[in-house]
Amino acid sequence: MLVLTRKTDQSIMIGDEVEITILEVRGEQVRVGIRAPRSVQIHRKEVFDQIREANISATGATLDSLPDIEDIREPSGA
Amino acid sequence: MATMAKVSKVNCETTRFGEIEVDEDLVITLPNGIIGFEESRRYVVLHLHEKSPFRWLQSLDDGSLAFPIIDPWDFKPDYAPTISDADAVQLRINRDSPKLAFAIVTISRQEPRRITANLLGPIVINPATRLGKQVIVTDEQYTTKHSIMDEISRQAAA
Repeated sequence: MLVLTRKTDQSIMIGDEVEITILEVRGEQVRVGIRAPRSVQIHRKEVFDQIREANISATGATLDSLPDIEDIREPSGA
Repeated sequence: MATMAKVSKVNCETTRFGEIEVDEDLVITLPNGIIGFEESRRYVVLHLHEKSPFRWLQSLDDGSLAFPIIDPWDFKPDYAPTISDADAVQLRINRDSPKLAFAIVTISRQEPRRITANLLGPIVINPATRLGKQVIVTDEQYTTKHSIMDEISRQAAA
């Protein structure tokens, strides 16, 4: 991991199209501004990880993992 | 003499369904793949049981890779995901009204009746181009583990 130290209003370039700017530092929180082409996905890491975990967990399913339609539509047996 | 235009077929040896053959024009391409499975780009939706809301998103690049999916509006008619500008531009769709989307379903091994759908990261598809993407919606209310059963009960009670 490359580690850099920046002050407020300083930036970092990643490649020639992604720019990260430190906008504000307030206590434990840092506000970060990101300029990037629309094709580059930007997300908080924990959200991305959550989705990856859910995807991985889903691939474990086999044909008989899925319940019958009856179980889904009438959960109370009505 | 009229000749029938041939629709090309794609074959794939799959783990769950054996050898399958599908029309090329049913293939969905996800240029970014699915998060965590970026190498696989081409998929087809298999619908085993007509009456079941569940289908399978089968990879054509990796026969062992398939995701159980559900049309989210099947159990949550008021599902209203908002897509980021970046994703809308990339898919060339309107950000407020994705027409075709699937939620990946997770079945808990401990509780088989606990089936959840990922409403935070649906797979949105442009039906005209058949290009899709697993997007992360910008609405804070959706989660990766939305209980299908609870939602159905909630809708029935409403």
